[in-house]
Amino acid sequence: MERELTGAITRSFGRPGPVDAMLRPPCEVACPIHTNAQRYIQLVAEGHDARALAVVRVTNPLPQVIGRICPHPCEEACRRGDVDEPIAICNIKRVASDGARAAGLGFEPPKIEFTTGKKVAIIGSGPSGLGAAHDLALMGVRATIFEKQPEPGGFLRTGILNYRLPKDILDEDIEYIRKMGVEIYTNADVGRAVKFNDIMAEFDAVLIAAGLSESRPLPIPGADLPQVLLAVPFLEAVNAGREVPGLGKEIIVIGGGNVAIDVARSARRVTGGKVTMVCLEADHEMPAHAWEIEDARAEGIEIVCSQGPNAIMGEGKVEGLQVKKCESVFDEHGRFSPTFCETELSVVPGDTVIVSIGQMSNLSFLPEEGPAVNERGILIFDREQCTTTRRGVFASGEVVTGPGAAVNALASGKKAAIAVARYLGVDVNFRPEPAAIGEVPADVADKVKKAPRRRMPARDAGERLKDFGEVETGLDEVDGRCEASRCLLCGSGARYSQLKCIACLTCVRVCPYGAPWADGEGLGGIDPDKCQACGICFTQCPAKAIDLTVMSEEDIAARTVAAIADSGNGELEFGCWYSQSRVAPEAAAVSLPCTGRLSVRLLLHAFESGAKKVYVAVCSEDDDGHFVHGHRQTRAAVADAQKALGEAGLDPASIELRIEPELKCRKAT
Amino acid sequence: MITAERKNFDEIRRMTDGAQKLLVVGCNTCVAVCLTGGEKEAEILASQLRLARKQDGIGGSVETVTVLRQCENEYLDSISEQVQKADLVLSTACSIGPQGLVFRYPTKAVVPAMNTNMMGYVKEHHVWTEYCVACGFCIIAFTGGICPIARCAKTLLNGPCGGSQGGRCEISPDVPCAWQEIYDRLAALGQLDMLKRILGPKKWNASNSGGPRTMKMEGFKP
Ligand code: SF4
Ligand code: SF4
Ligand code: SF4
Ligand code: SF4
Repeated sequence: MERELTGAITRSFGRPGPVDAMLRPPCEVACPIHTNAQRYIQLVAEGHDARALAVVRVTNPLPQVIGRICPHPCEEACRRGDVDEPIAICNIKRVASDGARAAGLGFEPPKIEFTTGKKVAIIGSGPSGLGAAHDLALMGVRATIFEKQPEPGGFLRTGILNYRLPKDILDEDIEYIRKMGVEIYTNADVGRAVKFNDIMAEFDAVLIAAGLSESRPLPIPGADLPQVLLAVPFLEAVNAGREVPGLGKEIIVIGGGNVAIDVARSARRVTGGKVTMVCLEADHEMPAHAWEIEDARAEGIEIVCSQGPNAIMGEGKVEGLQVKKCESVFDEHGRFSPTFCETELSVVPGDTVIVSIGQMSNLSFLPEEGPAVNERGILIFDREQCTTTRRGVFASGEVVTGPGAAVNALASGKKAAIAVARYLGVDVNFRPEPAAIGEVPADVADKVKKAPRRRMPARDAGERLKDFGEVETGLDEVDGRCEASRCLLCGSGARYSQLKCIACLTCVRVCPYGAPWADGEGLGGIDPDKCQACGICFTQCPAKAIDLTVMSEEDIAARTVAAIADSGNGELEFGCWYSQSRVAPEAAAVSLPCTGRLSVRLLLHAFESGAKKVYVAVCSEDDDGHFVHGHRQTRAAVADAQKALGEAGLDPASIELRIEPELKCRKAT
Repeated sequence: MITAERKNFDEIRRMTDGAQKLLVVGCNTCVAVCLTGGEKEAEILASQLRLARKQDGIGGSVETVTVLRQCENEYLDSISEQVQKADLVLSTACSIGPQGLVFRYPTKAVVPAMNTNMMGYVKEHHVWTEYCVACGFCIIAFTGGICPIARCAKTLLNGPCGGSQGGRCEISPDVPCAWQEIYDRLAALGQLDMLKRILGPKKWNASNSGGPRTMKMEGFKP
């Protein structure tokens, strides 16, 4: 095998050690559907929104929806939080879909061949049902969804208001799934329009994903007054743009969860009047997300905490809510078991009460022969197999898991899809649950350059109350990319091959973060918790025993070749994606997480690949760029490569180091 | 560890320009540890050669391959296919490497890319100092563990010359006087009386002045 004069770098690197192969970033582990957030964040940082959206779609059938309403448990787990603030992972997902949408890319689903010949019926078109249908389609199983409402989406449509999730966005995500060949029958109320047993006869399996479609009533005196409404029908009516009978001007919302917040915020918009929330929990115990509570308060909603509803006052017409002081909500085991001071009573005035204390399922459509429900009216369910008591009938989503976030329902639906597919004899790949790498050690966190989290811009509270238009407007391109650039690329830095390592200690000596280690016997490794993926060790290892997981040598070399082929004038810029500006706008660009990862070999390779002129960007005069000693390494590599070029008879000035003119990454926030 | 530095590029060009199929062979032990001739450097050199040859209209190919140690037959055997295809082999090892290649591949032309300079101690990253000249008969037990043969510019055996100034050797203020170091060391050990004994003429018959040395071990042989 003769290598051409261009000497392409194609050699693949040593496999990562067993530890590296198993450990994933904690954002991915914490995500209920294990989205490869790191990858899409990286693509957004590089400005490839459509490719980022494609990465989101690998695990997430409702990318636009989840990119707006997800409570983002990933962000709680994000290791950037060990340094300053977590990455705005959810907002970046929205940047990807908004960007792709604007470019008209990423909304054409793959062509599905339903090769298995199997058919599955799904009851309910909420996130769980949609997620299951989507994944079944990818496995070659045709799904048909039965939805009792006139339009699909379940609680996403009926329960979440336009100001958080615009309907056209929901429609787009559902349309994508439809185009994959998933059939959705609306106004198809199982039990009435179509019998459960008829579905059983027609399909190879049935998945119940009916959600929690009814509000839990509040059995207190006065609850039968006409101005006492329930959350679910109220939200349904508001969402459908219907007039709500009985709605006054002074609204009391009972409940402290996310749904109660939505009820309060919509009531505020519909009536323009006063809205007061009353909940059992103290401020810090409220089950609603902190940011939702903040938004509600910003919109002028009053929240009365630590009060339990005692009676609804009024004769034939609501005049207020009598409340009693709630002394504690949970018992010593953390179980819900409120205690009250029955004598400390007060009255919250109001002319309408909306009860939002939880939802329950409606399983009246199930026939006598099962699947069976337990004494509390809940479907009997095997959590692992997703099965019910009737063969061929599966369940997923809130109907069995209880209330939670849409992404959890989605996860449950995806899990059920695998269970159903297995039951139907379809070959399914097993993916083990990932494990997360550890925290960023304090000494390393100290060295990481701090960067403020980009805030989601939102319409002004006074402005947004006037309509149901979306409150959050999305990060703009620069902020989106800057925010994405804050990602630490956890666990995807230096990859080390023990087979190739000659225990020279270079990496141990040059790493600014102390990640590589060696013992006296020549054994060593690179600690993934410490590694920041700066790439310095990779450029220095004399035995080429180190490569980087993200943007490997092979990857950079391939991008170099492609960029030069594109360039027309043979000019190439190696830039830093953290700065997002260009030092040579007329040149083709390869952007890297810091030019400090450019080795002499990669610079020479550019010339071997046909480059006439190579610009290398650094973002300041300092030694350190985004990474400690990043620029020192960039300068050293450029100087060495210039010398090497000169020796080879080429003009050393054909490599030029330039300082970024405009640092978008440092843009004030 | 053996250290070696790469030759001047022009010299390498003169040795290799005539070859159509040039093979650069890296060595991943001493010269890799001293950062001059391992896999990475062999690839950089090959890349430079390709660029230079292209510039000058010399065709042909420049390949690279790296073995763990060029001073061992088995490792050299492992690259026989590449060596056979080449019409010239350029070694980035210390000079043992190219000579090993010559021994192993008697019909192949082999040239060195390196000047082998010394056996060094790694003072700090990127800095090596000569501590031993392989004289064949070690005397540092008498000199506080510091070798005057390697580290004194005049290889003096019994105390400093008159040029020792402020602890520095007269050849350069950058070079410490080995005998000052020996004195300080023995003082620290409380063994200054060692200096009272005169070291007789050094046995040089074990050094390399009597032709190539060979080391043989007794014991099990396959
Ligand atoms: S820093 Fe990036 S990869 Fe690491 S947990 Fe946060 S989002 Fe994930
Ligand atoms: S620099 Fe490379 S060869 Fe040296 S110890 Fe590190 S991994 Fe091993
Ligand atoms: S030098 Fe950079 S890439 Fe290498 S181990 Fe240290 S932090 Fe990771
Ligand atoms: S100054 Fe010291 S090291 Fe230098 S030649 Fe004289 S004795 Fe030797």
